Amino acid sequence: MVEEKKKFINRLKSMYALRANIDKMYARTVEASKAGNPTAWCAVNWWEADPILKAMGVEVVYPENYGAVCASAGVAQDYLERSAAEGFPTYLCGYARNCIGYAARMKELGEIPPEAPLGGMARPVLLLNSSALCDARYKWFQSLGRYLDAPVWTVELPHPGVKESQADGAHEQNIRFMVGELKEFIAFLERLLGKKMDWARLDELASAFIEVNRIWYEINELRKARPCPMHSRDFWTCMTASLYPSGDPKESLKLYRDLLAEVKERVANKIGAVAPEKYRLLFAELPPWHDLKIFDEMAERGWSFVVESWAYHPPKPIDLSHVSDPLERVARHTYRWFTGYFANALQEDEYMGYFAYPYLEWARDYQCDGAMLHPLLSCRTATNHLVLVQDRLLSKLKVPSLVAEGDIVDFKTFDHPGTMRKAEAFEEIMDHYRGLRRGEGLPW
Amino acid sequence: MTGNIRVAGEQKQGLARAGQIYHDRDIRMRQLKAEGRKVLGYLDIYPVLEMLTALDLVPFGILGDIKEPISRADACLPTIVCPFLRSALDLGLKGRYDFLDGLVAAHTCEVGEKWAHIWRIYIDLPYIHYIDTPHTTHQSAREHLAVLLSDFQGTLESFTGAKLTPERLRRAIRMHNEQRALVRGLYDLRKPDPPLIAGTEVVQVLVALISLPVEEGNELLRQVIDEVKQRHDGPKKKPARLLLWGSVVDSTDLIAMIEDLEANVVMDDTFVGSRAYFSDVKLTDDPLEGLAEHYLVDIRNPRTFRETALDEANRKDYWADLESRHGYLKDYAREWNVNGVILQTLRYCDIQGYEVPGLKDYLEHIGLPCTYLEWNYSQAALSPLRTRVQAFLEVIG
Ligand code: SF4
Ligand code: SF4
Repeated sequence: MVEEKKKFINRLKSMYALRANIDKMYARTVEASKAGNPTAWCAVNWWEADPILKAMGVEVVYPENYGAVCASAGVAQDYLERSAAEGFPTYLCGYARNCIGYAARMKELGEIPPEAPLGGMARPVLLLNSSALCDARYKWFQSLGRYLDAPVWTVELPHPGVKESQADGAHEQNIRFMVGELKEFIAFLERLLGKKMDWARLDELASAFIEVNRIWYEINELRKARPCPMHSRDFWTCMTASLYPSGDPKESLKLYRDLLAEVKERVANKIGAVAPEKYRLLFAELPPWHDLKIFDEMAERGWSFVVESWAYHPPKPIDLSHVSDPLERVARHTYRWFTGYFANALQEDEYMGYFAYPYLEWARDYQCDGAMLHPLLSCRTATNHLVLVQDRLLSKLKVPSLVAEGDIVDFKTFDHPGTMRKAEAFEEIMDHYRGLRRGEGLPW
Repeated sequence: MTGNIRVAGEQKQGLARAGQIYHDRDIRMRQLKAEGRKVLGYLDIYPVLEMLTALDLVPFGILGDIKEPISRADACLPTIVCPFLRSALDLGLKGRYDFLDGLVAAHTCEVGEKWAHIWRIYIDLPYIHYIDTPHTTHQSAREHLAVLLSDFQGTLESFTGAKLTPERLRRAIRMHNEQRALVRGLYDLRKPDPPLIAGTEVVQVLVALISLPVEEGNELLRQVIDEVKQRHDGPKKKPARLLLWGSVVDSTDLIAMIEDLEANVVMDDTFVGSRAYFSDVKLTDDPLEGLAEHYLVDIRNPRTFRETALDEANRKDYWADLESRHGYLKDYAREWNVNGVILQTLRYCDIQGYEVPGLKDYLEHIGLPCTYLEWNYSQAALSPLRTRVQAFLEVIG
């Protein structure tokens, strides 16, 4: 009799259907391309451009997601090497280099490379990127011009400073800017595709995306419970339906509702994702996709990752039902995601209101014993703020951090055994600071 | 205001003065502070200096120091980001910029943006403002930047208690445009063969410029231009006339290493080099509009995304796109009689890093040999680079 391997993370059953829905986007796009329908490669754009593309009937894939897919499938290394051979510096983003290697190979073969996982990414008619958070996105898509003849469009996202964002009129000006931007994008898209925007469809899609995120937010709020009902591994699997919303939003909505029901049930019955839950941790920022099993080993030690990856979380909900213009609704929703923590940050004299400050709020609200920080050798965006986070968590909340360097795609840079050794020693540190926190009257 | 600087009893002029300020950057700032002037630090080329000058504030360009080992910045900025920014923050934390009354930062690049927020957390100053310079040249982005500049104006007025009238602003724009024209005049001196001024000397002058109030900088430029035209001991003729492109070059070290070989660096496309100076601000009815247009559209810098050039079928034409993005380099090469290009990026500089293969394609397409150097803003990195440059010079003959 084969002994079943013990699973230390109790995965959510409803998660599997969400993942399958996302994986289908690659096949959908290849089919659309074969049928002569428009397809796009899209950078994650936090729901600014997604509903517009969908309303215009464009099938979309997300090369960032594909980077993680290639890393898990073990083909990324070849693409990284190809990118280096093409002359791109090796310090550039792992997702970007994976995509560049893929595009170079596709150009050379004249078709989707046979080794490409999930059927590959079809040749696009548009490269859509966003100015949000990272220089790599728009510079990488611009550089793809060596291999693809698709035009590139960049949707703007304002990045106000924490203090500047709270000045009189700043909020509304930023919304005006975003709406103006989206109008320009639609005009461009109409020219490119030779057809008109379906405004009724856009209206519907904008609302659906907002609703998906509202439910997704509610699910994540429930993770504050002890024991935490949902592990970060499930978060990273499920976030894709929100972040890379290429499927039918009605279907995503149903799947997230199923997820919500399962999480609620776990909370009611005090079922944790990790049992016993000895330590509650937060994770920043992007995980080592090629080595997710490390979280199972940590779960075996009683570590539950209860919150993570600020940039991949949905916005704090706001009521947008009175906003009739779908573009304005889209703009307010995305802007909320970006700036939702700013007002609180300013009150605490914290000036990095996105990325860094949310972890302070989360460490308190989710009662974290420690943080695991994963500086990425090829991603400034997910790394810039980590030293600051480490400092603020410790000095303000007595929450210590475990730092393990690595990369999202290049597995050679991650030291699995070394990280596990550090993890063992880190438990004593977490115990020590738990005592200090309690001594100072902090509630966890 | 006199353009002369008195330093420990001696009064230097022209290149000697530029060299002195290059080595002792805060010398003039501390004097001005003692006279009651307020000094605002700024980073890179996107803070709108005209608005400071118009309110009698002294802008001071924050730089790094490649000779100073980074120690304090490790506690707030990781090692895998731009070493120039890490160095600049390190100097701030060590008190090198303790004479500043404020800081103006802008969204120069992603890490530059974060740098500004981190600075604000760890180094408190009476005035700090961050300009969220957009990323594209879209119409809505231009209009938005003009609004952001009017917000910036509001905070400057509160800080100084003075009103920034359009007339004051226009006067300041004229002074800065004059500086731009004078810098272009300085660069003209690099056109003859041999160039009349060395690349290292140009860097010293440009670093001095961002360490002086604009009117004093203009006076310095006039002195340098006169001196260089008259002297007879300029650089020697060498087979290679190079253009240096890429990330920040804020010290003479890299260029000295190149010019120590059989090459003169006769043109550049960098900060602290030509990028800030090769187009003027237009004097529009609302001066803020002209400024927004200048900083977003006119300044050629890969940090600003420019539209793809499309063919009739709405497809991207790769060569047309390269031409529209890099065509000005062809003009530079022709006017400065360049026969080789060195592309350099600081390690972890994404903005310039993604440009490299496409830019190489373009330069090869127009028949200009080029080589690419990646370095980490340290003197130790220069000796391996020297061998690479030497090999490149052999190729171009
Ligand atoms: S955020 Fe990081 S991983 Fe994502 S595209 Fe930018 S550089 Fe790459
Ligand atoms: S060198 Fe590159 S990363 Fe550094 S400040 Fe300049 S643009 Fe930013």
